[in-house]
Amino acid sequence: MSTSVILAGLGLAAIGFGGRYIARNARVVQSTLKKQFDILDSGGAFSKYYKGGFESKMSRREAGLILGVSPSVPEAKLKEAHKRIMLLNHPDRGGSPYLAAKINEAKDLLDNKRKQ
Amino acid sequence: MAKYIVQIIVAGTQVVARAFVRAFQQEYQASQQAAQRAGGGKAGTRRAVADTYTGMTLQEAKQILNVTDISNKETIQKNFDHLFAVNDKTKGGSFYIQSKVVRAKERLDMDMTQQEEKKTKSNSQETSGNT
Repeated sequence: MSTSVILAGLGLAAIGFGGRYIARNARVVQSTLKKQFDILDSGGAFSKYYKGGFESKMSRREAGLILGVSPSVPEAKLKEAHKRIMLLNHPDRGGSPYLAAKINEAKDLLDNKRKQ
Repeated sequence: MAKYIVQIIVAGTQVVARAFVRAFQQEYQASQQAAQRAGGGKAGTRRAVADTYTGMTLQEAKQILNVTDISNKETIQKNFDHLFAVNDKTKGGSFYIQSKVVRAKERLDMDMTQQEEKKTKSNSQETSGNT
């Protein structure tokens, strides 16, 4: 009889702590959730953005993804894609130098492989 | 015959156990160094955790969005809006790059939230006296 009372008391205490935790952190949780949904929403059909950062050593697959081409793309198409993406991300037009470097690295990677 | 089998099993277990211990030690040291690099102390540890969880370091996020001062929210938002718009797939941009831009913004937001949480925590501790 007494053990069930103790258990009931512990259960209530747990609910109390849980509720207090939620009440304290609700706003943060809500705002983070909302931000996630906002970002997902703005993606539209492409709401599944690639995760994580760039690979530490760029692979041909990543290079292809950066330029929006297949890794085995013909040279002319590679040049056109590189020029187009670079124009959009040019540092002199408000782009990021880091991204520009990645774009160039991608083009070099796919280009060199063909010269071999 | 059985004695030898037991000996082999014991020796094998010892080798495996020693390897595990060494692996754990290395892992612990590596995570300590990562926390140090991220600024030391509790904040550094939290940053290192966020780095691993998101798969993007704070450093890379800053480089992608081309910001140096992470407290300047206007610059971050401006750069993000520009880079996000410019890499729109329907306008010939790279969806992959756009994704990285989004993840970079998320990483910076996460860091900002952590900083603000720390601030409100230390503020409430000050006002309440002793916890």
